[in-house]
Amino acid sequence: MDLSLFLNNMRDPAGVPFYPFLFQVLMVLTFAMHITMVNLVVGSTFVALLEAARKTDHSLKLAKALGRVITVSLSIAIVLGVAPLLFVQVIYDPFWYTANTMSAFYALMFLVLVTGGFYAAYGFYLGNRNSDASSFSSGWAWLALIFMLLAAVIIHMLSMEQLMPAQWKSWVITPEGSYLTDGGQFHGFSPGRFLHFILSSFAVTGVFMMLYTVYFRKRTDYDPAYLDYVARRGAGIAFAFSVVAAAAGFWWAGEIPAELGFLKNPFFVAGAVGGIALVAYLGMAHLNPEKYAAKAATAMFIVIFTMCAAREGLRMDYAAAAGYSIFDYKVNVDWPSTLLFLATFVMGLCVLCFPAMAAFRAGRAPAGEVVTIDEVHGRRAVTMLIIWFAVVAGLGIVISIKNGTLF
Amino acid sequence: MYPFWELPFFTSGIVIALIATFHILPCHLATGAFWFNVYIERKSVKEGRPELMEFIKRYSLMILVFCFVIGSLTGVGIWFAATVASPRAISGLIHNYVWGWATEWVFFLIEIAAIYVYYYTLGRIDSKSHLMLGWLYAWAAWISMVIITGILAFMLSPGKWVETGGFFDGFFNETYWPQLFTRTALMFGIAGVYAVIVASTLEDRKVRDEIVRKAAVWGIAGMAAGALFSVWYLFRIPAPARELGLEGGLPYLRTMLKAAGASYLVVLLWFVLCGLIKPQWSGRATGIVILCILFLGIGAGEGFREGIRRPYIIAQYMYGNQIIGTDLAAKGIKSEVEKYDSQGFLKNLYFRPDKTDLENPGDRLLAGRVIALHQCGNCHALDIHAKMRPLPALLANLSPESPDDIAGFLEALGDYPYMPPFSGNDEDKAAAAEYLFWIVRR
Ligand code: HEC
Repeated sequence: MDLSLFLNNMRDPAGVPFYPFLFQVLMVLTFAMHITMVNLVVGSTFVALLEAARKTDHSLKLAKALGRVITVSLSIAIVLGVAPLLFVQVIYDPFWYTANTMSAFYALMFLVLVTGGFYAAYGFYLGNRNSDASSFSSGWAWLALIFMLLAAVIIHMLSMEQLMPAQWKSWVITPEGSYLTDGGQFHGFSPGRFLHFILSSFAVTGVFMMLYTVYFRKRTDYDPAYLDYVARRGAGIAFAFSVVAAAAGFWWAGEIPAELGFLKNPFFVAGAVGGIALVAYLGMAHLNPEKYAAKAATAMFIVIFTMCAAREGLRMDYAAAAGYSIFDYKVNVDWPSTLLFLATFVMGLCVLCFPAMAAFRAGRAPAGEVVTIDEVHGRRAVTMLIIWFAVVAGLGIVISIKNGTLF
Repeated sequence: MYPFWELPFFTSGIVIALIATFHILPCHLATGAFWFNVYIERKSVKEGRPELMEFIKRYSLMILVFCFVIGSLTGVGIWFAATVASPRAISGLIHNYVWGWATEWVFFLIEIAAIYVYYYTLGRIDSKSHLMLGWLYAWAAWISMVIITGILAFMLSPGKWVETGGFFDGFFNETYWPQLFTRTALMFGIAGVYAVIVASTLEDRKVRDEIVRKAAVWGIAGMAAGALFSVWYLFRIPAPARELGLEGGLPYLRTMLKAAGASYLVVLLWFVLCGLIKPQWSGRATGIVILCILFLGIGAGEGFREGIRRPYIIAQYMYGNQIIGTDLAAKGIKSEVEKYDSQGFLKNLYFRPDKTDLENPGDRLLAGRVIALHQCGNCHALDIHAKMRPLPALLANLSPESPDDIAGFLEALGDYPYMPPFSGNDEDKAAAAEYLFWIVRR
């Protein structure tokens, strides 16, 4: 059996419940949000360690603040990651499942490492909440960093294996004809691509620190000198690491086989040009971090998003070389469930405004002050959920009666 | 077929079962506990009793750090475990229910925002809005249960879906409502146990006893209602499942159900005794023991629910060995059993040894192993000392005299109510039989 036949035969026989394009767009979009959060987690751990090593009042305060950022953003990253994990299995199932089963041991280790990283991060955060220069300890943060980097190596490897379908068979079947079933395959580590991701993480955290200063500048109980320090450090880190990350990006581009013609891919070109423009912009923002923080963050997310689209373009090139295209997927359009998702998604964004606003306003009030929020916002958000439930339950009862599955 | 992943001794299915057991307790807690939380918070706000907020603070942190995080990590964990153990099964579910999961994901986003903001704004925003954050979390979390229950129930009783292939026809199936009611009732029971444990760490005696008593009432109500709804559920399971699970088709399933029932009773008694009657008897240590009993009980109950689905992994659609066993005209799906029976199984594999001219005995064994792995390996371990239904031992019980005896057994495999038929032509069967005979004799 040839590879292209295998890839196309392994598509799920149920087909996809909507046109593949929508899954692809959602996958890239949610992946961009996920990876930004992951960048923030990895970068914050790294910067927290840098700051802890400086042992000044300001740097320790910053390290503590980042400790909380790590725990919260890691849980957000996990939840955000669910969506691209879901969508990749819809349109690239033959690739995703083959890589995961061949490397099952590592896929499961990934979870162990993330869990370990999470609790290590909590250890760092809770352990240092009340500590000062003499009692501050970074042990947990080191552990968290190691766990996270190993988890990153694994998930990177799983992505890379998916791009090398022509070699799969030679990994699983030995020359003597034995079938390897230990799930221990580990292939395709690409230093340029991996470093590009890691170094970008530090830059993302730098920009986050710039935003942090803007946000807390309004708080009367924050020491302006501390905020100045954070802004300076943030801008410095953002600039320095975006330069090296860009360099690593070119290293990665050099690793990609020329015959794929990826360097001419419009998303890659846009990402590369945008990336260089961002470096220049961060260089300028360096002079007055707070003034440029919001714009730098927006620009950075656009560049990240473009790079995620380019990454998807690269995957399409690899898949095409193996005779696979997501657009050949059998489509069995299921309108009711598609509409259910789209409507819920829009509703969800509206509902999220309430906790977002509550957090934003509470965080800006000085410690000890109680912020009053118009009750109507919360009530509206909860009501939307209740209506959602009423509609779906009503639908369920009608369908159950019609199908004779209620009693 | 995808490459096969073999977990020596235990089979890969154990990994799913293990992670799932660790998932179910925290996730039912994460969905149930906030209802109790907002109940107490509401009381505190309405009756002007700030001392109750101490409990809220502790309970929320415990929910956040242990239930929410462990729940979401193990949730992703089940997914990865299912991916490596049964990729085609998870693929089948996803390609039918992707929008269901995507919808659930929206509620995950609301949950995570609500729970973090709830915790970090305790005492920082006005009490009414804060309470609304609590409600938001409670509803979003419970709705995520409303969604996932449909997909879980689908795996046992796919309802009208087998004719229409329609999302909601499979979702609102025969076991959906009783399962939703059972889980909903049970989540209050579990939340009650957790609340008692947290409340017993409070210093203020009076507040402590008051909350313990209230938690016990919730717990008792939840457990009692849960018992009733599970009976409803048992009445609704499809006939083949009833035969396997309740009527002795697979005796160990009945044992599991009894274990679940017993743990139920213990927890109920504890609520009455150490919650209602003598709240001062409740304590952290006993609470944790009870939590462990509950954990085992839930594990057994869910094990029962998973076990009665045999020989299928998605009832009436895909067998436990990931082979599709039925036609589904609505989606243009053809049974693979027929295809493999006529065309051959090995021939249709991509990941197989290249030199499979079945003339050479060594090659035949290699080929036979590949076939046996795919056809039996999801449920049976192939090594002799294995713990999980070891094939060499099970087959040895049948005292086969030759590979032909085993081929005969494979021919009739589908007659067992809990095993799928062997899918493949005579060549496949002969190669598999030769390999299986070899491992029995080794
Ligand atoms: C869907 C899961 C599943 C698959 C696939 C499966 N089996 Fe089984 N098998 C079972 C279960 C469950 C039992 C009962 C074990 C017990 O009683 O503990 C069993 C029992 C057996 C027994 C003992 C029967 C007896 O009468 O004592 C043999 C032999 C056996 N299986 C062989 C096979 C072979 C060979 C294959 C592959 C061709 C296979 N099974 C595939 C689930 C499966």
